[in-house]
Amino acid sequence: MKKQSYIIALVAGVFAFASCQDKDWDIPEGIPYGNNSLEAGTTVTIKELQDTYASAISSDNYKQITDDLWLRCVVNGNDYGDNLYKQLSVQDETGGIIIGINGSDQGAFMPVGQKLLIRLKDLYIGGYGNQAQIGGLYNGGLGRMEITEWKQHVRLIMDGMAEAQDFGSMKVDTIDFDPNKTMAQQAGRVVRLSNVTISREGTPIIAPDDGSVSLVSNCVNRKLTGGNAGSKCVLRTSTYAAFKGVPVPTGPVELYGIATIYRGTWQILARTQSDLTWVK
Amino acid sequence: MKIKHLLLALSFVTAPLGHAQTLESASVDTLSTVEEELQTDDSNFTFTESQLGENDDITPEVIRISSNSNVYASQIGWTWSGIWFKYRALDNAYNDVYMNGVQVNNPENGRFSYSTIGGMNDAVRNKDDVSPFEDNNFSFSAMGGSTNYNLRASQMPAGHKVTLSGTNRNYTLRAMYSYGSGLSKDGWAFFGTVGYRWANMRTAAIKGTFYNSLAYFLAAQKVFNEKHSLSLATWGSPTERATAGASTDEAYWLANDYQYNPYWGYQNGQKRASRVVNTFEPSVLATWDFNIKEDQKLTTSFFIKNAKYKSTKLNYSGTNPHPDYWKRFPSYNYDVWGREGDYNYDNPAFWAAYDNWQSEPYRQINFDELYFANTQLNKIGADAIYWIEARHNNHLMTNLSSTYDWNLKWGSRLSAGIQLLSNRGSHYRTIEDLLGGQYFHNTNTYLVGDYQETSTEAMYDVNHGYQKIIEGDRYGYDYDLWNQDLRLWASFNLEKGITHSFVAAKMGGRRMWREGFMRNGLFQDNSYGKSGKARFLDGGFKAGTTINLGKGHAITAGLGYELRAPGAAVAFMCPEMNNDYVQDLSNEKVFSSDLGYAINNKWFRLNVNGYYYRISDANEWQQFYNDDSNSFSYNSLTGVEKAYMGVELGLRIKINSSLDVLALGTYSEAKYTDNTDVYWMSSTTGKINEEICHNKGMRQSGTPLAAASLGVNYRINRWYLNLTGNYYDRIYLSYSTNMRYENNLKNAGRFHAGEYDVPEQAKGNGGFMLDASIGRQFFVWHNPLSVNLQLCNLTNRRNITTGGYEQSRSNYSVTETEGSGTEVTTSPRTYNFEKNAKKFYAQGFNFMLNLNYRF
Repeated sequence: MKKQSYIIALVAGVFAFASCQDKDWDIPEGIPYGNNSLEAGTTVTIKELQDTYASAISSDNYKQITDDLWLRCVVNGNDYGDNLYKQLSVQDETGGIIIGINGSDQGAFMPVGQKLLIRLKDLYIGGYGNQAQIGGLYNGGLGRMEITEWKQHVRLIMDGMAEAQDFGSMKVDTIDFDPNKTMAQQAGRVVRLSNVTISREGTPIIAPDDGSVSLVSNCVNRKLTGGNAGSKCVLRTSTYAAFKGVPVPTGPVELYGIATIYRGTWQILARTQSDLTWVK
Repeated sequence: MKIKHLLLALSFVTAPLGHAQTLESASVDTLSTVEEELQTDDSNFTFTESQLGENDDITPEVIRISSNSNVYASQIGWTWSGIWFKYRALDNAYNDVYMNGVQVNNPENGRFSYSTIGGMNDAVRNKDDVSPFEDNNFSFSAMGGSTNYNLRASQMPAGHKVTLSGTNRNYTLRAMYSYGSGLSKDGWAFFGTVGYRWANMRTAAIKGTFYNSLAYFLAAQKVFNEKHSLSLATWGSPTERATAGASTDEAYWLANDYQYNPYWGYQNGQKRASRVVNTFEPSVLATWDFNIKEDQKLTTSFFIKNAKYKSTKLNYSGTNPHPDYWKRFPSYNYDVWGREGDYNYDNPAFWAAYDNWQSEPYRQINFDELYFANTQLNKIGADAIYWIEARHNNHLMTNLSSTYDWNLKWGSRLSAGIQLLSNRGSHYRTIEDLLGGQYFHNTNTYLVGDYQETSTEAMYDVNHGYQKIIEGDRYGYDYDLWNQDLRLWASFNLEKGITHSFVAAKMGGRRMWREGFMRNGLFQDNSYGKSGKARFLDGGFKAGTTINLGKGHAITAGLGYELRAPGAAVAFMCPEMNNDYVQDLSNEKVFSSDLGYAINNKWFRLNVNGYYYRISDANEWQQFYNDDSNSFSYNSLTGVEKAYMGVELGLRIKINSSLDVLALGTYSEAKYTDNTDVYWMSSTTGKINEEICHNKGMRQSGTPLAAASLGVNYRINRWYLNLTGNYYDRIYLSYSTNMRYENNLKNAGRFHAGEYDVPEQAKGNGGFMLDASIGRQFFVWHNPLSVNLQLCNLTNRRNITTGGYEQSRSNYSVTETEGSGTEVTTSPRTYNFEKNAKKFYAQGFNFMLNLNYRF
């Protein structure tokens, strides 16, 4: 009887010991993206930055930022809709600028509205088709910076953090597109175009990849006319965009997007399907 | 006296059979108890935990072949288990497993999962193994051999037994206890065993894995009289284990670890596995043994199994978060292979990637970042982009079997049987953990872009619309596959003169269908509800003979031909999406032959066998990402032609009563003999495309096609010592079909002057391994205590490949579709997929210490 008791105890012990190892996991605390040790020094605005490096930008050249400058900005466009490719668009109250980062899913880590503190020292700034861009060196020219470098230079500021107060009332805002504004005045900002007509060449979806329209770097440029589009304005959509299959409307519509410029032509980059207001 | 009768009756019921018996009498196989414990314990260990399909990346399970008569077949399972050796390079589906006469292979894929009987070693020791051309009284033996486990309580050893083990392999500790009552005077017998195997993240041999497995087996038997006996057995082994993944040589080199495992990462500073398998397959087996007459018996068994299998995996709709994703490697940025088009030389990204890989957190999953991304997306009400999914493959299987055995008085035996089987395989996917996300939508993300996210076409289940999915919900696919079989077989053997011969035949019918529980947006009319039923009639015959030439010399020969109905696992074009069957689906045809020579005398035992198998009209099915179409693809290979051939040698020489030498060797070929027609479906269009796969000459993967070993066994004064050297070579990796599709070869620039330049199949490293064992039996309180220590890979050879596969990606990207879309332009990739097969490597030095105490 004693032996049986031992055996029962042994079996019961085995069952009790055999508990689950893959437990329920708690959500990690903290901000695992970026460099949380960054503390702002001398800050500049986007306008001041563009003014300082105006010649490099306008000549499609580049320069390394050697001063210990810091930028406070807010994300207004990213790759969430797969249309901005390895690019982040940021703005402050004075302007907007594009940041090239060799990494994907920036839209998840830095959604629209995310406040960023960026240490600019050692990064490169210049122009690509006269569009101002911050990045790194690639094959001897201005390109995207490596994601590891970016993470060393950026700190994500969350609402509620003490550092958020330094941003004041900075937020993403939308301005009406004006074809006569300069790059510094409008590029890198979210713009609204009203009563514009989108060209319907080829298959009537925004970004067909069936050969019916010519592609430029895997993107379709559809000319925008009428409304406030001016004479040199296109809707630029990647054939990898999540909304590439959206039908091209037959009449004038309203649309939103990040304004960029390439050698005198404004290129409007819709961020998500919701920027294309005719889609229900 | 009564019990003597009962035991006599039972011995008849359960006696193994085979013409092998004619060669048994002069056997020199006199394993000591210690040696037997060592082999059975360890073979159970190595087979059930290391090899048998417990890892999703390991291609088909091995066969646990054994034989009562053939030195080679009886020893390779034990000797070559460390390298995942497959008997005759065959898939486990060609090995039939029975329990008390009822077949327990899963009819959906034909395989038996040995992991379901892991941890209950004492319960499954009693079995009858037959090689492909040995006759037997429980089956039409399979071309990879057959095994019948005897799970009757009266046949289990009486008494208590405790086993304790320590090892540095998949698990760290094992404890087992078993008790058998023996057959009581009133005809009752009971047996039970319980086992537990354990390792956590700190102790497991491979980083980022753990093992947590409980096993139980309970059996009762009532012998009513000399004619009737009823037995009942139930078992199961609820198991939770983290799996390891294969990776490229570049990853192993960067991590400086041949056991680098990309499937785990850090969360809040703690190690977390992304791939965890949970299995539980509770089974019940009832058997009625009816001794009709002294020379006739009828064994009827009913088997039911309710198997639950769940395997988790990190999934995503954003960037691939796996640490060994090809774009994270240095060679993504710089052409380390020196091909033309090396335009990224001196790219700082190359060195940045190299530096990153020196950090362990970088080369593992960063769970903290995944959580952060999802919680950030929560703020804008967006779908989670990272999550842990669980793939469920459950089975409810019932099988009724009856076997009649007539021991004819003129030295012959007739056996016949019937099997009635039904299996419902339930396959669905759930969200296991949203990693901080709130939800996502049940949409086909491969389609988003071509169709709007909210479109009907992109919905995985139109019946539920644009549906939000949360943890625990089913998404993606949800369907059942049904197989129902009726099978008859008969075997007749005859002793005449110097010959022992047998003929066997089988025939059967199978019907199958699919029942979908989601209405897929691309296939709204043929995805929800039941498909049509497919029916197959199959059968075959087999004959074999042993000619006894006298003085221990014998010649064996066997010949067989059979039709095998396809299982539901390969019968549907895309079971995850619709009800359509594969085009040109047909029975597989198998020709098999075997010729052997045996010598068996007091000092010497030799088996030399040659075999030739030919498989025609086989069906294979794969799914993978197809670069050339930028979509996930479902691929059906039909009319597959393969040939298997080889020679085998088994030799045991008894030097004296204490010392013997064992030599084993094989050289084989197992390859596709012709190119194969392929139908493949793109997940972005739903259209079926025809292709030709240039797979002629591709070899069976994941096993050495050449192996040899030489071992010495020494037994004296209850000591047992063994030293064995093994050499393995010609290890091929699973070839990529996609890389060899005709159109893809053209895209890759491998079509010149009407000839296709088909890439060579990737190979793994062979090599030499040295193993040793030492065992001793003691007596403690008048009861035997066995102590065994097995030392494997003493020379710590860590670069021997055990398996792996070529990646299905291309060395170029399709950059633009021109004109009609039938012609594409491509641009080369710096990363070379052809040179970066994913591999598994053998563990370095490892050991297992085993203690058994009987009382």
